[in-house]
Amino acid sequence: MRMKDIWFKVLVPFFAVAILVGFSTGWAATITVGALNDMTGATSDVGKDYALGIAEAIHYVNDMGGINGKKIKLYQFDYGYRIPEALTKYNLFKRLKCVAILGWGTGDTEALAPTVARDKIPYVSASYSGHLCNPEKTPYNLFFSSDYSSQARGLITAWFDKKWPNHKDYGNRKPRIACCYMFASPFSSSAIKAAKDQANMLGFEIGPDQDVSLFAIDTKSQVLGLKEFKPDVLLHTNTVMSVAATLRDAYSLGLGADHIIVNWGYDENLPRLAGKAAEGAMGSAPWAFFGEDVPLMDKVVEYAKRYNPGIPMEKRTIHTVQAWASVLGLAEAMKRADKAGNLTGPGILKQGFESMKDLEIGLGLAPVSFTATDHRCQTVINVYEYRNGKFNALEKVDLKSRWPDKWANEWIGW
Amino acid sequence: MSTTFLPCGVYHENYPQDHAWWQTKFVKGKMILLFLLVFVVIPLLADAYWISVCNQIGYTILGALGVQLLIGYCGQVTLGHAAFLAVGAYTSTLLILEFPWPKFLIDWGIAYPISIVIAAVVAGIWSVLFGLPSAKVKGFYLILTTMAAQFITVDFVITQYVSQIGGRGQAFSLPPGTIKIGPWVIDSDQKVYFMMLILVIMCVIGLANLLRSRAGRAWVAIRDNDISAEVMGINIVKYKLLAFFVAGFIGGIAGAFWISNLAAISPEHFPWFWSLWLVGVILIGGVGSIHGAIFGSIFMVVVMELLQLAIMPLADTYPKLLMDFLFIKEAAFGLAICAFLIFEPNGLAYRWWQIKNYFNLWPFSY
Repeated sequence: MRMKDIWFKVLVPFFAVAILVGFSTGWAATITVGALNDMTGATSDVGKDYALGIAEAIHYVNDMGGINGKKIKLYQFDYGYRIPEALTKYNLFKRLKCVAILGWGTGDTEALAPTVARDKIPYVSASYSGHLCNPEKTPYNLFFSSDYSSQARGLITAWFDKKWPNHKDYGNRKPRIACCYMFASPFSSSAIKAAKDQANMLGFEIGPDQDVSLFAIDTKSQVLGLKEFKPDVLLHTNTVMSVAATLRDAYSLGLGADHIIVNWGYDENLPRLAGKAAEGAMGSAPWAFFGEDVPLMDKVVEYAKRYNPGIPMEKRTIHTVQAWASVLGLAEAMKRADKAGNLTGPGILKQGFESMKDLEIGLGLAPVSFTATDHRCQTVINVYEYRNGKFNALEKVDLKSRWPDKWANEWIGW
Repeated sequence: MSTTFLPCGVYHENYPQDHAWWQTKFVKGKMILLFLLVFVVIPLLADAYWISVCNQIGYTILGALGVQLLIGYCGQVTLGHAAFLAVGAYTSTLLILEFPWPKFLIDWGIAYPISIVIAAVVAGIWSVLFGLPSAKVKGFYLILTTMAAQFITVDFVITQYVSQIGGRGQAFSLPPGTIKIGPWVIDSDQKVYFMMLILVIMCVIGLANLLRSRAGRAWVAIRDNDISAEVMGINIVKYKLLAFFVAGFIGGIAGAFWISNLAAISPEHFPWFWSLWLVGVILIGGVGSIHGAIFGSIFMVVVMELLQLAIMPLADTYPKLLMDFLFIKEAAFGLAICAFLIFEPNGLAYRWWQIKNYFNLWPFSY
């Protein structure tokens, strides 16, 4: 076929149909919600399970009657953790008149925050960056989890309270901590400033940061870089694949440090990937692990089996539960706004999210509260320890009760 | 590609006529229509989504112009152009956020325009640094040295050092109202669109003028045969570096423009893939033609958007289609490059040139 034939017989009709379809918006009287997920990019090791959970949870909400009788129409895209791609998808969501967006990474969520605020579209992200919690700066950004900065503070505090007193050098010197994260990633680096602030407050000596890529499968040079400092504890803020690599290398090189891990690096895959090196690893998990006996988990498992039967249940992770928390939280906000007759961005924010006080979502998530001045919906950090093949609850650090002034006045927004 | 044929009865009598921008009344009429289309019709008719698509096209054009200059006109293959966009974006952002501007410059909305100019110059100089190896190497080896620009600039300098300025960490966010030109606060897609138009027009005019100057002829001579060019007395190192400077300069403008579109940046905005994408754009649009950069950008952005809109109705039946769209998009990008290299190696610009000549010579086009 000549080029001219290709143009006129194949491509031109295709584009004509595409344009017609493209210009026709709105297929039915449903509520449209957009979802940006990472199935193929830098954070796909945890993103796949989250994406599956989003779709399954939306099915559940629709089966339970939707938003006061209106079904949710979900437009879910993989953006490969590419920020420019996230921007184009966001513009598409606007065109599709999505009333809210279920976002993903810190890079794109923070980058879109000013635009989201301008457009007044609630953006429920899977990024729990502390920078998204101050409504003065990011009024339309919300999430159903403790933020990374609070998690880091809670983890350091839990280690300091529970592990350091048992150390042989306790009372003789300061505890030593170092941070392993990807410098280039806004996600990985977002909690570091708060972590160091907490470590300084508790009297830690802070070692050199180690740049561990999200793609890292070999971190020996970073571990060797810490040998001289001899840290007692390492804080990890990457996703599980690179965290497992670091744990393995630290174990094999005999670094001798404990590990504390922010939620995206602490899931059911960690012991599978890190093996023995995961023994004793501490991490934060604001929700229950997949399959745990908590309210609504039966539905999570049932919908996982129904909609993705090809994926064995033992391969599903806590990230599915996280996704359910995001969807159920957003659905509750939309129901409240709809009931108030104001199913718009500002309505969902004010009559929806910011009217939530001690809301029980289930899934092991502590009661949720948002206010017009504070979008940190969780004040307690659930710290687990992996021992003997199980994630065991170790400590609940209530940051708000322990440091009420700092919580209220100093720690918001970073 | 040779010159466009003139319509019957139109003759050039001197060189200025030969090099004039708009050579006939018909062309002038066409250009007026084009200006009306982009400045009036599109802003009036297009919704916010299509305006944002236009902004994406403009950003791609600004990025691709520099690549076109280097590859298409000077024969210096580059695969690291995203780095110079990053330098422009970061320079402009840092100047706005961190530089102690006198208050009246901020009030009068001059800080951002000045930052664009400085960003362009800094990106140009940075580009020259990575153009230095072109004095010694070419072809495959030069590609690798330009790729180094990406890794050194974005992954090392910007990530490790520049991003730490101000103590924030990685992403810089520009508060609302900081991006303004005079009293004109750029805070909507439509305002970004007008700024994009002005920048694209200025860059196209500037580059087109350069290409018909001594420098432009020297670049083409170097591209066609660098040894012959040197024998003819052209200082090839000087002109190669000048090409890198101009390409970086335009890239810097593109980067400074990008921040107005998003009001925030992080190193992740400038992946190496973007450099590859820009090369794909000029391959499809046509190598060695400013039209090529423009047509390639329009084609690549619009086709991807149409493809996306086309699969959306199918998503009800095949929900995975939306999730898999990124694969489809990348496959389409690869296929488009293969198809153009096989069926239309001179790109869309050549097709445009043929269409123009057909009408200019009609009905005596034989």
